Amino acid sequence: MATTEETLKGIVNKVLRKEVDFSDGATFKDFAADSLDIVQILVGVEEAFDIEIKDEDLQEIKTMGAFVAYIDRKVAEKGSKVG
Amino acid sequence: MSLKGKVALVTGGSRGIGRAITLRLARDGADVIINYFRKRETAEATAKEAAALGVTAHTIKANVGDPEKVGAMFKEVEEKFGRLDIFINNAASGVARSAMELDVKGWDWTMDINAKAFLMCAQRAAPLMKNGGKMVTISSLGSRMVLPVYTSVGVSKAALEALTRYLAVELAPKGICVNGVSGGAVESDALRMYTKDMPARNWNVSTPAGRMVRGEDIANLVAFLCNDESNMIRGQVIVIDGGMSLTQVMPGGA
Repeated sequence: MATTEETLKGIVNKVLRKEVDFSDGATFKDFAADSLDIVQILVGVEEAFDIEIKDEDLQEIKTMGAFVAYIDRKVAEKGSKVG
Repeated sequence: MSLKGKVALVTGGSRGIGRAITLRLARDGADVIINYFRKRETAEATAKEAAALGVTAHTIKANVGDPEKVGAMFKEVEEKFGRLDIFINNAASGVARSAMELDVKGWDWTMDINAKAFLMCAQRAAPLMKNGGKMVTISSLGSRMVLPVYTSVGVSKAALEALTRYLAVELAPKGICVNGVSGGAVESDALRMYTKDMPARNWNVSTPAGRMVRGEDIANLVAFLCNDESNMIRGQVIVIDGGMSLTQVMPGGA
């Protein structure tokens, strides 16, 4: 099963139509992602992980590392709600 | 006018003009299906308001620019309601750039959501309108007037309006009326976004009617077009702008 990082990388690469360097400190800005790219990435992540990313949380996910941690936390929260 | 017992789907129906349309159709008695893009809580809040009016309200998340998601949305509509009487093509998006700055990605995104989506949705909605039905598209004055950085949206709305005419003729034998509503000077987040770099302007004095157009004004016209009293109006795009476009050039326009 793909890790969160692998799935996220797949989504980012698909939206940006290129292989991106996905080191921990990398930001959307490093990938030259514009606001439309970011919306498409957010939609892709929401669908892949069945979570909802609130606009007010965007400050928290400026780096890819932080985004992975955010996704894992959201997925865990969802799991605990279901359980 | 009553729409009691009708089933209506409003794309982008959770906020702004879409929300006003959803609540108006619910007030007239229609069961409402609220399509939304990302904000579930907003959609559920609108659904709750609609349900409080005594109708069934259901939410469906889908990016209408994605034909697969459109297919899934209509499958859910068919499974839950078995039919559709009213389809409101309201969801819209856009990239605020001039023609020289517009890239393929921004063009495709805007055209997919604002124009292609109507074709994809109409193809799936029409077979569910077994006893005839109404389709209403929401356009804007940017389809025929030039507004700053409105290129992609304006062109997509022109395509939407042309498609409205083609579908009005093609679907007429099935008892389906297709019309459009074109809003101008509408109090909305979209207007605020597109005019944020312009000099401050008192929009209320920009219309002969003396005030800006509200979501409820658009919803009133949509409700009329969803009613049988409007049956002889076909393939028209009706402007609702308080008369603004009759008297002046839009700010920053050509």
